Amino acid sequence: MSLQLLANVFVLAAIYALVSAGYVLVYRVSRVLNLAHGELMMVGAYFLVATTGLFAGNPLLALLLAAMCGLVMGIVVYAVLMRWMTGEAVLAAVLITIALGILLRGLTILVWTTQQFYPAAAFGWRNPPVAIAPGVRISAASLAMVFLTIVVYLALFVFLQFTRWGVRMRAAGQNPLLAEQRGIRLHGVYAFAWGLSTFTASLAGMLLALDSGVESTMATIGLKAFPAALVGGLDSLLGAAVGALIVAAAEIAAIEYVDPLLSDVVPFLVLLIILAIRPWGLFGSREQLDRV
Amino acid sequence: MKDPSPYARELALFGTRTRRIRLAGAAVVLLALPFVATPFLLDLANQVLLASIGALALMLLTGFAGLISLGSAGLLAAGAYTVGVLVREIGAPFWVTLPAASAIGACLGLVFGLPSLRLRGLYLAISTLGLHFVVIYLGGEYEARETLSTGIMIDSPSLGGWTLSSGRAWYFVLLAFAALALLISVNLQRTRTGRAWRALRERDVVAGALGIDVQRFKLMAFVVSATMTAVAGALFAYFRNFVSIDAFSLYLTVQYVAMIIIGGMGSLAGAVLGAGFVILFPYVIEAIAGYLPERFGNTVFALDYAAFGAVMILFLLLEPAGLIGIWHRVKNAVVARRGASAS
Amino acid sequence: MTAPLLAVDALQVAYHRVAVALHGVSLRVMPQTIVALLGNNGAGKTTTLRAISGFIGLDDARVVAGSIRFAGRRIDGEPPHATAARGIVLVPERDKVFPNLTVAENLAVASSARAGAAVRRDLEALVFQFFPALAQLRPRLAGLLSGGERQMLALGSAIVCNPELLLVDELSLGLAPVVVEELTQRLSDIRRQLGITILLVEQNAGVALTIADYGYLLESGRVALEGEAAQLRGRREIQQAYLGQASGEERRSYRALRRAPGVERPNGRT
Repeated sequence: MSLQLLANVFVLAAIYALVSAGYVLVYRVSRVLNLAHGELMMVGAYFLVATTGLFAGNPLLALLLAAMCGLVMGIVVYAVLMRWMTGEAVLAAVLITIALGILLRGLTILVWTTQQFYPAAAFGWRNPPVAIAPGVRISAASLAMVFLTIVVYLALFVFLQFTRWGVRMRAAGQNPLLAEQRGIRLHGVYAFAWGLSTFTASLAGMLLALDSGVESTMATIGLKAFPAALVGGLDSLLGAAVGALIVAAAEIAAIEYVDPLLSDVVPFLVLLIILAIRPWGLFGSREQLDRV
Repeated sequence: MKDPSPYARELALFGTRTRRIRLAGAAVVLLALPFVATPFLLDLANQVLLASIGALALMLLTGFAGLISLGSAGLLAAGAYTVGVLVREIGAPFWVTLPAASAIGACLGLVFGLPSLRLRGLYLAISTLGLHFVVIYLGGEYEARETLSTGIMIDSPSLGGWTLSSGRAWYFVLLAFAALALLISVNLQRTRTGRAWRALRERDVVAGALGIDVQRFKLMAFVVSATMTAVAGALFAYFRNFVSIDAFSLYLTVQYVAMIIIGGMGSLAGAVLGAGFVILFPYVIEAIAGYLPERFGNTVFALDYAAFGAVMILFLLLEPAGLIGIWHRVKNAVVARRGASAS
Repeated sequence: MTAPLLAVDALQVAYHRVAVALHGVSLRVMPQTIVALLGNNGAGKTTTLRAISGFIGLDDARVVAGSIRFAGRRIDGEPPHATAARGIVLVPERDKVFPNLTVAENLAVASSARAGAAVRRDLEALVFQFFPALAQLRPRLAGLLSGGERQMLALGSAIVCNPELLLVDELSLGLAPVVVEELTQRLSDIRRQLGITILLVEQNAGVALTIADYGYLLESGRVALEGEAAQLRGRREIQQAYLGQASGEERRSYRALRRAPGVERPNGRT
């Protein structure tokens, strides 16, 4: 495999990994599979469109503001909608997320129409290709995506392992009843998990927006990232990163050596294979399979 | 007529006298409809009948046997594409394509059903989702290779000089198919298979311990459901004279899932009600859009999406038992009021 | 006369609205005492604890009648975090620790509602004093601990919550007698040193009665017997009936138990 292809794999893997982190966060902490994650990522991208409209002269402010909106969005989604499903059947909660995704898709088109937006152009940024090695080029936004994904994963790891809230979130994910009894407020923990999830999704959406623009079909990337999370094991961040690499490698290889049309279906072929041989994923915990 | 034994009474299809009267009344209304309805309403009715078949199929699988499936769109596509490909490649008549579509449906049902032997709930749903994308990809491949950017055109089915193309004729054909689907469903529900499926839905581990061949019944549920859905897809291809892979998106699957939820899980009447609701919903939204400011009026499909998502959320949150649940509650309230005023 | 810390009156609990698990259970737990709740499987012991600690929603269970008062205030129907905030802490029978957290994290994750940082630190130090073995196991994942170590951790993480009333569900289940003996001793030490009140649910009557002050015997959702532990303890019949040690002619029926002198019946008659 040529170096350029390898670089492409890493870029695609970074996208999938950053998006998958959100799936894992919500699933690990509250056992809900959020199938609206792709749409939430897309809304994050549209937040950037909105803030660049308001603060075109100040890109940093626009980015920060959009990211903050992304964080708040998750908390609001939990507080207004998902908290009523806490304690209910998991499948019902998943169906509600599907409905939420549809609602969001409709709302974004109503607000922003189907027009394509290019926040980078609004900033005056050309997103130049960067030569990271002789003969190997990726766009600057893609490079930023790779770095950001690494930073986010490290930050999440440190947060979950070493901070008070992180340990609480892990505890709530393992044994919600015991957590309640030991004074951990589940609603608060879940809301924060959703907030973190949409925050990372918005970051991904924003970078994708800077790289190739925003339009209403962007949410499909979110759905394609899901197999990466599943392959790794829905409750493992490390798994999501590894899964992203596997799915990205498979997809790039298929596009290059077999048939470009396969690009949308390869992630799901990988998904089917992993479901057939090891449904709980490479790094996931096995009990989860029976609990659902 | 001699009064049948209690067991026979339970098994009989047209048990009580009231039920027979009700059925006769419904039959009269249904048969008279095409002669009094406008062409637009007739087309709506046809769409609802067609959707009912797929909804009943999904209700059998998910509502009764408790097997979560997100494969509706893929199976509809398979049925429609069988017709499209056969008509295009060899000009096959409908009495070849329809059985072929059912056969393809049955085979796919087996494929979609295999994961259910190992996976449950969420993971089963995910596996059917993966299979959906595989089916859609295959359809897309065919269209790309044959450079059919706008899909396959299909002539209306004909038999000995007479072509099935008028709304009224389609109504009776679809009514027959829908009635057949309903009959099959009702019968399955009442027999050993139906009881086995209900046992599966509750606790399949316990069902297995009770001696029910869990694997066989799970696969049977998938095969029956998939065959019905594929036939519905084939009918859809003839009804619209047109097949394109773009029509079979994940949104279509969600609409069918919404039908059985909004209708009321576990109820055959609910499947039909839900089909009616979901089919008519966009038309209602379009009517409302006419009153809204220009900008919203232009993107009606987005308004449709948003409203549909909102309605689905409302049903899931507030009335998980669906329209049937509402019906029961209203009925109980009326009966209670009547009882209170009587005493 | 001192007021009881916990007063359960004519408590009725039903599962799925139809299966009545508790048919009017009444009990009193005096402050700083250890009260044993005895009985076989299915007698209703765990249901009682769940009702008190707020876990009652599990398996669609509900308090149908009666009341639960803690320090004079009614608490039936309150959610688990509310009862925990009042100082009622439960050590459940199963799933009593967070398996993928280390011992140290298990102890650290407890609430801060009733204990500021300083109090928590002191309590944690006390826990390591009571259970020195835990101190060595600080970095170990709780899921990898042995049964006895896990029970120690469960008790420890409950103590760190600064409880007033400690509910322990099946202390001895699945543990070797030696370990059980040590744990019961520790429990007694904890009561003495911290002034905590303890309601101990046990199938193993002998174990519970060695440290309890008072005891209740539940049978099919009702209080069948109650009395000072000394009196219950002395009744070999109780030990025989509930430890299955009886055999042949020695086997007593429950009826014989009830007619035994000195053991109080619920309505005061002997």
